[in-house]
Amino acid sequence: MAKLNCDHVIDYLNGTLSKEEQLEFEQHLKTCTDCQEIIEMTGDLPYLADPVDPPAGMKARILSTVFEEEAEQKKSEEVKREPAPLITQKAVKKKNRWPVLIAAALFVSLLGNGYALLKLSEQPETGGEMAFQSIDLQPNEVFGGTAKAAIIREEESLELVVQAEQLEALEGEQVYQIWLLKEGKPIPAGAFTPSANGEGNAYYSLEDNTEDWDTIAITLEPQAGNASPQGEIVLSSEI
Amino acid sequence: MEKSSDFVLYERVRNKDKEALEQLYDRYEKILFSFLVKMTEDRDLAEEALQEVFIKVWRGVGEYDESKGKFTSWLFTMSRNAAIDLIRKKKKPSVALEEAGELVSPASSVEETAEWQEKKEQIQLAVKDLSAEQQKMVQLFYFKGYTHEKISELCEVPLGTVKSRIRLALKKLKGTLHDMQERGDSPWRN
Repeated sequence: MAKLNCDHVIDYLNGTLSKEEQLEFEQHLKTCTDCQEIIEMTGDLPYLADPVDPPAGMKARILSTVFEEEAEQKKSEEVKREPAPLITQKAVKKKNRWPVLIAAALFVSLLGNGYALLKLSEQPETGGEMAFQSIDLQPNEVFGGTAKAAIIREEESLELVVQAEQLEALEGEQVYQIWLLKEGKPIPAGAFTPSANGEGNAYYSLEDNTEDWDTIAITLEPQAGNASPQGEIVLSSEI
Repeated sequence: MEKSSDFVLYERVRNKDKEALEQLYDRYEKILFSFLVKMTEDRDLAEEALQEVFIKVWRGVGEYDESKGKFTSWLFTMSRNAAIDLIRKKKKPSVALEEAGELVSPASSVEETAEWQEKKEQIQLAVKDLSAEQQKMVQLFYFKGYTHEKISELCEVPLGTVKSRIRLALKKLKGTLHDMQERGDSPWRN
């Protein structure tokens, strides 16, 4: 890549540089006083605005939205934070699917940890057949993140837990979107945004799973809720 | 005081301290909202943009550290980009130059804080040192978020030179401001 220089300061301000270019420009910025001055100027320019009194109730509206979003995000994270003793002989009950999920989440988070594998292997089969599969997703050539997935199939249902690490931060309304594919046809299977330390988790469940999925993929979508992928695949694996 | 404590506050926000986020919000609500209204000319859109900004700050999107310059530069740039995104999504792009407004507007009736007023007057003085074309470019680029193509069209300058001209205008503005501060000028004593 050509070395980024002063010519890119406007692109940097506009947020149009790629993540790599941005990092490269920030290296340039450390030593370039001209660019530092231009960036500094953006800390002053807004004061040219005429003061406008904020509308009544705006603070409450904004802060409650911000914290609500956080609560939504937390839900999936809490799954993996449940204490270990929940993996017990009684964990798998048909009516309550959460313990299965917790086991799956712990399984993913402790993959490679012999103790967890041992614990799980002691788990009895209960009722119908339960198939448990763990998957390491492979990043594309440029993506720095990693992800593991666990799929639990039981009779007609499928549950999917994904845990990702070292994720690149997102911009705007971007999300990491998970897809299950059969013969190239995807269905959305959960989405997540990374935490400050680049970790992300998602849980997805299909009550009536009739397909035999062959691939799992994670794309970087420009916004949540896409019915089919628009962004590029950053992580994927055969199932 | 505010420079270093912004960073301290931001660090607390990064550790999910809600109170710190609220303090940060209180500190910048008015300048950000006013700035966003100047950009969007729409109070609802400005509120939406402001919400986007605080969602991002809270989630740690585009994390700040001191190597990126002043905290306010970072916060304002993020706000500006949130506004540009919304303007492009929700508003029809305006093409007439008259619609773009002036970089410096006539005095307003709402009272400014002393700090704000001081900064504003200094910047306004520095803006006067720019050519009319430079002022126009800063307004179109910075406050209106126009594309380079549109700026090239409206200012009648070759597309290839738009970026460097904006860069020079901003650099000159900073240079003038810097000189004024070095001399310890207080604009209203001139």
